[in-house]
Amino acid sequence: MKLLAIIQLTFRESLARKTFIAFFGLSTLVNLLFLFALNLDIVDGAESYISLFGKEIDQAFELEKIVYGIESVVAVGLFTGGLFMSLFATSSLIPAFLEKGSIDLLISKPLSRFTILAGRYLGAVAIVAFNVFYLVGFSWLILSFKTGVWNFGFLLAGVMIVLTYAILYALMAFLGVTIRSGPFSLMITYAILFFSPLLLQREAIYALLSGKFWGYLLDFLYHFLPKTTELGNITRMLVQHAEIASWLPALTSLLFGALMFAAASMIFKRKDF
Amino acid sequence: MYVVETDNLTKYYSRGKIKALEDFTLQVEKGKIFSLLGPNGAGKTTLIKVLLGIVFPTRGSAKILGEDISNAGAHSRVGYLAENHRFPEFLTANQVLFYYGKMSGVEPALLKERIPQLLKLVKLENWGDTKIRKFSKGMMQRMGLAQALSNDPDLLFLDEPTDGIDPVGRREIRDLLKNLRDRGKTIFLNSHLLSEVERVSDEVAILKNGRLLQKGTVEEMVSVKQQFTLQLAEGYDLLQALCAELALPLVSQNGSFIVSVRDDAQLNHLIDKLRERQVLIRGIVPRKITLEDFFIEVVEDKEVAAP
Repeated sequence: MKLLAIIQLTFRESLARKTFIAFFGLSTLVNLLFLFALNLDIVDGAESYISLFGKEIDQAFELEKIVYGIESVVAVGLFTGGLFMSLFATSSLIPAFLEKGSIDLLISKPLSRFTILAGRYLGAVAIVAFNVFYLVGFSWLILSFKTGVWNFGFLLAGVMIVLTYAILYALMAFLGVTIRSGPFSLMITYAILFFSPLLLQREAIYALLSGKFWGYLLDFLYHFLPKTTELGNITRMLVQHAEIASWLPALTSLLFGALMFAAASMIFKRKDF
Repeated sequence: MYVVETDNLTKYYSRGKIKALEDFTLQVEKGKIFSLLGPNGAGKTTLIKVLLGIVFPTRGSAKILGEDISNAGAHSRVGYLAENHRFPEFLTANQVLFYYGKMSGVEPALLKERIPQLLKLVKLENWGDTKIRKFSKGMMQRMGLAQALSNDPDLLFLDEPTDGIDPVGRREIRDLLKNLRDRGKTIFLNSHLLSEVERVSDEVAILKNGRLLQKGTVEEMVSVKQQFTLQLAEGYDLLQALCAELALPLVSQNGSFIVSVRDDAQLNHLIDKLRERQVLIRGIVPRKITLEDFFIEVVEDKEVAAP
């Protein structure tokens, strides 16, 4: 119950932020677009008329492909823009609660320090999950009811997006506890997000490097850091029911998240406030 | 039973450059209002923070409510009003008490019952649905006090509770603290307002540079041993002559005389001599100083005494 109180408080705090209100507004807009702008007229299981924004869509497309395509656009949009906004909106949650007068009160409660940090972390993940599933869940329902194509891969993509956020937020929690600066932890996390495609293409970069050391360093960074590009690809493939060649990038990224959160907890447990 | 016990508690900051607490040993009895006094940077807030696990001691040990300070479980019976506390500003007064009470382990149903009572207790009963960002400093302080009481604690740590509160509000808080003490609660108070402390405290400790200088009851601190103020209708010359004869130090102050005696027998001997000479005595009062006088005396004295 005590942990729940921190999660609820963090959830409310996030909800009060304008970025999440904007996120929520955008999600509502997308859902309304799907609800009113996409018109499907299905006869005997096959579509006889499909229109989007009032324009007829080429009948040559298979309905399933269209639905997968729309859901892919939503999933990829959420994976990039949604994650970007969510990280931005939650970047100050950890440093803010570590401020004097705020953390003192929390530690004076009958809660372990681990519970306090975990509550804060889970609260941030909960608000992002709420926003992601508000968009994914509703658009999935609308599209599924309108087309009859029930793509559960789209829901799994939602899980993947939240999981990616949780991994990146573990890093932000670590940086927040260590440096206590929201903007700094945000910059580092964005850097990892943006350098991920480069690290994936590291073999192409080897030729440009002057020594082996840089190659080893790139290899280390690739294996150690979360592989957001691959996580994005997995998300897209989940929506499109494509075969996922390897789950290893997801597993190693999860391991990175767990490691970051464990390190954040260890530091938080020993810190004077 | 002691509700707060420390044994050679020491806290250094910046790798020993700042000595916030130095071999601090203290016991606080149950059901008392205990006040900690000291100049700025004496270590008062650090002591509370160590006791509540907010900072870790460098060495030594401490217990609150019989439990080691490393056990956060004991905090379910503890209330804390931090100096410059901050609550999330988007919450209303009711919500602050609900969430923070819940974190203290109070059942939501009980909290819903208790919140109106708490707000009434701190005179904020009409502000329950108002966002706390609209509160004045004094109201925030009352809010902090209500929050500290949300779990009906046995031990209450209050760091500058009357900060920003007007004189009427201060008296209300004083009455509230006395009422809590009468209900068996222990109150551990940090305050700069010595007159407040004097009025409300049962026991006082004076701290400087992280060391305990003095500890005792307010009565012990403000009364000056074997010094009496004599008020006479006449015969001051005679008093001066008698004191000179008996070798008793005598000081004139605001129309009265302060005489220092060895013991009660010597005082009675002086009175007998005065009465023998038909001197009319209006009053003999054991001399008292204010807690502020005592505090300054102790702090400055130890400062001079320090090498």
